[in-house]
This record gives sequence, structure tokens and C-alpha cells, in this order.
Amino acid sequence: MTDYAFLLDLGRCIGCEACVAACKTGNELPTDLQFIQISEKSTGTFPDVTSLVLNHRCFHCTNAACVEVCPTGALYKEDGLTRLNREACSGCSYCVDACPFGVPQIYDGFSSKCDGCAEVVKAGGTPWCVKTCPNHALMYDTRENILAAAQNRLEALKGRYPDARIYGETEAGGLGMIVVMPDKPEAFDLPENPEPAFVIKAWQDLVQPVSAALTGLSIVVTGALAIIARRNHMQELARFEEDLAQREVAEATAGDSSQETTAEKEEV
Amino acid sequence: MTTQTQTMEHAHHRKVLRYSVGPRIVHWMMALSFLLLLFTGMVIFLPFLSHYASGGNSRLLHRIGAVIYMSIPVIYLFVDRKALKELLWDSFHYDRDDMKWLAHVYRYFMGHAAEMPPQGRLNAGQKLHHAGVVIFSAFIVISGLILWFGKGYMGPINLGIAAIFHDVSMLVLTVLLVGHLYFTFVYKALSGMTSGYIEEEDALLEHPKWVEELPAEEPWVVEEA
Repeated sequence: MTDYAFLLDLGRCIGCEACVAACKTGNELPTDLQFIQISEKSTGTFPDVTSLVLNHRCFHCTNAACVEVCPTGALYKEDGLTRLNREACSGCSYCVDACPFGVPQIYDGFSSKCDGCAEVVKAGGTPWCVKTCPNHALMYDTRENILAAAQNRLEALKGRYPDARIYGETEAGGLGMIVVMPDKPEAFDLPENPEPAFVIKAWQDLVQPVSAALTGLSIVVTGALAIIARRNHMQELARFEEDLAQREVAEATAGDSSQETTAEKEEV
Repeated sequence: MTTQTQTMEHAHHRKVLRYSVGPRIVHWMMALSFLLLLFTGMVIFLPFLSHYASGGNSRLLHRIGAVIYMSIPVIYLFVDRKALKELLWDSFHYDRDDMKWLAHVYRYFMGHAAEMPPQGRLNAGQKLHHAGVVIFSAFIVISGLILWFGKGYMGPINLGIAAIFHDVSMLVLTVLLVGHLYFTFVYKALSGMTSGYIEEEDALLEHPKWVEELPAEEPWVVEEA
């Protein structure tokens, strides 16, 4: 299967929000739901100002924390992108909490996020955001082609922006959203290392399988031994009852005087 | 001869009260809420059951089970305060016989109670079982409340830690349940939690120190025709 990817060139994004509008209308999202948020971040005082346009959206991690924690398989990887099947979602919110980018949200009880316009691209189209971008800040192609294009864009930027870099080639196992950025990730409020948190991995890859295995083992072991142990106990119980009965008989026949019996009991 | 037969029959038909009605009600409430929690939790734990979780109904049931499970100590307090106190005290106090008993627990596990050190109302294994239930119920309740009320706001670290505590507590409590069912079967102990009474021989074999202290009158000891 060929992996596909987006290119997001933050050196070219002008913050026009055409992608936001196209995504909303194209995907027929309700008015209070967005899969992309554009915001401007300005630091300093005019004329000494740095302004950056931030893109808050799904980065389609290969090692996707949301996919890892999803208990129902509603979130899954396909063609290098992170898809969502809301029919399967239970609304547990694990994805909301686990995502290093804070992308998935619970809308109307269930998870919602960008699914890379699965329906559109499967019908041979281009994702709505890419199709609409007026400044070619967005592209959609095979991951290989996107990485090559990103390299070209980076070369062009490097002269002007010494901190320029590509983000997403290897981060979190490689992102399905290759970002060309003229500054460091933190300048765009993006985590330097978006790998799923260690405790998330420990929970999913260690605690869950070990818990399931040990619980299963306890059932198998007790199930196998139950018959033997019960037979052992029934035998010892029969012996014990016999002893009890014999003792009572002995006590009763040892003498009919109740005094002797009492004395005997006290000795014991 | 007549006397002998009478005595033998006599011994076979005496029953002792293991659990009065209050603790029995509490036990079955706890059992049912735990099973509800176990199965509604399992659907997001075992991937092949996950389609039962879709839509979120299992979460609602899980929360109903959680509210019942969390209210068990309070209900117990109202139903039989003395029994609750006794249970908690016994579960965290071990005498010399208990320690010896635990050292030979393997024999008891295999169905040999006869040569074990004499035990009181609860044997050392039951004490450990109850102590484990108390401690890990506390863990599972606290982590569960974090998962419930922190949902969507707690971030990856809190989610991971709370979920690990929740899952490990679940593992311990489930294994304790499996052991509980195992010993109930091996020592045919179910009647103590249904009618409340067990055969006197069983009690003498497994809890001699307890039988000694038991008042020899109804309702603690009943003769059956």
C-alpha cells in the first residue's frame, strides 16, 4: 500500500482561512465544528514584530497515540493517514487526552477529527483544504513525492530563514502531514517530540496484554486444579467426618456418666 | 447401639450460621456490581468485544455499576455495622497460626485443610483476599473517578497513569475473584452465602477456633431433622 501525505508549507501559508472554509463546507461540518484552526501569533512591538501563522490540525502520526489508545478501532491507519469511523466510536475520549497535538474532540458524543478527506480521495479527488489553498501552501500526494517537494521548498527557504526545517519526516514514526517551517516547531506551538507519551505506550503495550494474559492464566490454572483439589477435599472431609463420629461414639460409650465426659473434654 | 446411631445422625445435621442476612445482601450487591463493571470494562479491554462498546452504552452501564460498587461500604455500614468492623479488623490482623497457615497455603490450595494450623472465623487466605479487595478497590475507585471526571481534560500523562492503576487493580481484583470462585468450589462453600448456613463438620475442619467461640444456640447453631 502506498502511503499518502499532505504538505503544509508554513513559509507560504498566508492565514487566509480558505482551507478552513473549504473543509467545513466540503465535509458538511456543523457550524460549531472545525478540523482546522488558523491563528496568528505576533510577538514584539511594531515595527519590531514577528508574526507567524499557526495551523492547528491533525498531523496524521504514524505512531498515532489516538489509534493506539482507541479501544474500538474507530480510529485506524490507512494509506499513511489517520481515519475515523464514528459508527464504531464509543465516545470514551481516550484519543482526546492521548493526542500530543490536542486534535480529536468529542462532538455530539463521539470523536471527530480530520480523516484526510477519505471519501474524496478514494473517489480520485483532492482533499478540500488542498484544493482551495490559493498560495500552494498545501499539497497532497504520495508520501515519497511530498518529501521530495518538501526538500525543494526547504532549500528555497533556507537562505532567508536559517532555522527553517522539515517537521514530520521522522517525528512520531513520520507524520502524514509533512510541515515545512521557517522557524523551530515551538515557534508554531508544535511539540518537538510528538511521540505518544511513555505512560500511554506502557499502558497499551505492557499493562494491557500482561493483565489479560495473567487473568487468563489464573482461570486456566484454577480450572485445571479445581477438580483435583475438590476430590482431595472430599476425601479428607469423609475421613474427618468419620473421626468426628468415632469420637462422639467413643465419648458416648466411655461411660454414661456425664461427669466423665466433661472431665475428658476439659483435658482436651 | 441406638445411642450411637442417634449421635452420628445428630452430628451430620447440625449447621452453623456463617453469614447473617446483612452481609449476604452486601456480598451479592458487590458481586453483581463487580460483574457488571467487569463485563462493561472488558468490552474496551478485549479488542474482539469492542463492537459492544460502540455507541457508548457500555460506559453508562459501567458508571451505574461504579456508583453501586462505590456505595457498598456505606450500605454495609447501615446494614450491619458490627460485621463491617469485624471484617475490616480481621482482614488486617494476622496471628501466629495465620502466618503458619500462609506458609503452607499450597496444601490448602490443593484441597487439604485437615493439617493446616487452626483458623478462626476467617482463614489467613480469606483475610488476605479481603485486604486485597479493600486496597485494590480503593485504587480502582480513585483511578476510575479520575478517568470519569478528567475525561477529555486530563492529557496523556494523567490518562496513562490512571489507566495503568485502573487496569492493574482490575487484574488483581479479577484474579482474586477467580481464586474466590475456586475455593468456593473446592470447599463447597456456597451455602454460606445463600442460606447463610454451612455444615458443622466443614466449620470444625476449617475454622475450629471460630466454632469454639460460637454460642451453641439458635440462630448460630441449628439442628436439622
